[in-house]
Amino acid sequence: MILEEPIKGVPLVKNFIDGEWVESKGEIRDVVNPAKYEVIAKVPISTKDEIEAAVEAAKAAFPDWRRTTPLARARCLFRLKELLEEHFEEVSRVQTQEHGKTIDESRGETRRGIENVEVACGVPTLMMGYNLEDIATGIDEYLIRQPLGVFGIIGPFNFPFMIPLWSAPYAVATGNCVVIKPSSEVPLSQMKIAELVDEAGFPPGVWNVVNGGRTVVNGMLDHPDIQGIAFVGSTPTARDVIYKRCGEMGKRVIAQGGAKNFMVIMPDANVRATILALMTSFFGNTGQRCLSGANLVIVGEDDGFYKSFMDAVVATTSKIVIGCGLDESVQMGPLRDKEKKEKVIGYIESGLQQGAKLRLDGRKNIKVVGDYPDTCFLGPTIFEDVTLDMKIGSEEIFGPVMSVMRAKNLDEAIEMANSNLFGNAHAVFTASGKIAREFQYRVTSGSVGINIGIVAPMAFFPFSGMKQSFFGILHTQGQEAVRFFTESKVVIQRWF
Amino acid sequence: MNLQTASAVISFAKSLEDESAKFYQDLAQRYAEDKDVLVAFATENRKNIVQIERAYYGVISDAIEGCFAFDIEPDAYKLETALAEGTSYHDALGKAIELEEKIVKFYADAAEQSKSLMADVPRAFMLIVKKRAKRGTELRSLLGKEGQ
Repeated sequence: MILEEPIKGVPLVKNFIDGEWVESKGEIRDVVNPAKYEVIAKVPISTKDEIEAAVEAAKAAFPDWRRTTPLARARCLFRLKELLEEHFEEVSRVQTQEHGKTIDESRGETRRGIENVEVACGVPTLMMGYNLEDIATGIDEYLIRQPLGVFGIIGPFNFPFMIPLWSAPYAVATGNCVVIKPSSEVPLSQMKIAELVDEAGFPPGVWNVVNGGRTVVNGMLDHPDIQGIAFVGSTPTARDVIYKRCGEMGKRVIAQGGAKNFMVIMPDANVRATILALMTSFFGNTGQRCLSGANLVIVGEDDGFYKSFMDAVVATTSKIVIGCGLDESVQMGPLRDKEKKEKVIGYIESGLQQGAKLRLDGRKNIKVVGDYPDTCFLGPTIFEDVTLDMKIGSEEIFGPVMSVMRAKNLDEAIEMANSNLFGNAHAVFTASGKIAREFQYRVTSGSVGINIGIVAPMAFFPFSGMKQSFFGILHTQGQEAVRFFTESKVVIQRWF
Repeated sequence: MNLQTASAVISFAKSLEDESAKFYQDLAQRYAEDKDVLVAFATENRKNIVQIERAYYGVISDAIEGCFAFDIEPDAYKLETALAEGTSYHDALGKAIELEEKIVKFYADAAEQSKSLMADVPRAFMLIVKKRAKRGTELRSLLGKEGQ
């Protein structure tokens, strides 16, 4: 069944500043549905004045919002949660329309986003400090958490709905105000959320959305009234722009970057379940996520196991149904745009040039279900005989490409994973608890999967990352987000 | 084409529930003998849809194997719900039993395929298997009563 599209016509996306929908004076660009390769909306590239107006509105709203009780702030979030549930299907389909992902993936993204709102509703408890009576006779000491002011939240293109919700609910729950910049490629999900924020009764200025690009990002980074930035995107931007500039400006920062995740397969793994998990890991979201599997490392010198496992992987992969994500039969959507497709093709070509064996070529015979142009579609690709020094074995491809390697034993597999610059979400597939523990103990990645292909932390756990995958100290989601968005103030008191 | 995604399987389950609800409503209109029981079956079908949707929308996540959890051949569970003019109540009940057996098989197969991947959905499916198995017994008892 093909589901109905929620976005009709070609709406112009506006900024949401101080509780009003404001038309930008900036350049207007197209928002393209990658499955149909048609324009579905227009988005502004907002100006410096517009980001400043949003920060000004947020700053002005902060004193009253901060004084609003945590209970009352939580009630706004409860209303937002209810509205998101009511519009669950609509916002999910918007994600598919603007991003291209399958409807199951979009609904999954919606659920994960809502879970962050749910967790942030617990702010009266989450924000509690602690105390100790009689640190000296008659003197008590206690810690309170206080909001800081205005925060900037910068989202990527791959999860247009969920990723800003890793931060924004916690920021406002703790009494801060936010300015969100969605990716200009996929601005519609955040527009929908802002409509529901408005309906939920948040005071004007608490939650602002400014669409755009570099000007808006620089406007946030340079603005003295922005206390901190939560960013998710590429490693060069996270490291060289966001983290660096936040350091110079004295801002708090969460900068989540890229990844190259190793999926380590032990010979005792449950083959059927592992292969299905690998399909989601490598090809879910068309490989466009920082939790995707990138390198598949098959452990052991048993050629028979390697061959039968790979035959099964290739057989399953080659049956993946590709098409428009609103078609319920589709298992993999398009890449977000044709430039991203070209970039992935560039990696495939480099793999061939560097001597990897192309077992499944996603460039050829792309069978797209339905009558859609193949502009942004690319089939799943599998390389064997990949080495760590190849570009496809070391760099983040961000597309549906599986690079297969072999390791003699677990030690070598862990060394291979740890030699990579990134450290986001490595996983091991095994029936052995001893092996799983060893892997978990030694592997350098912020999240670790044991028989899990997409190691996505739930909203009440931090979204961690190590090495070149993360820059900062505290993380998004849960308790750590509460810590990030508050200052710990310690009071020592004595009464004469 | 086989149903492989969770979304497609949930839609298919809903269509089975809808179709069978219409079938029982039709039976209830045609055969007054056990009208209340048949209407109750139709009502329960609608509750089943709510139960399935609640499980699916509650558990679906970008991290689980939603697009790869199933391999269901829909034609294997195609329902025969048309009743010819003049069909006896006895034959209609026989058709209802066949229909229930097919639906039970669908839910059991779908639950088996996805049990290690998205636990809440197969659990919801198995709850419906239990309910429908009970319904099958009830239908057989109506058939027995009819035969006397």
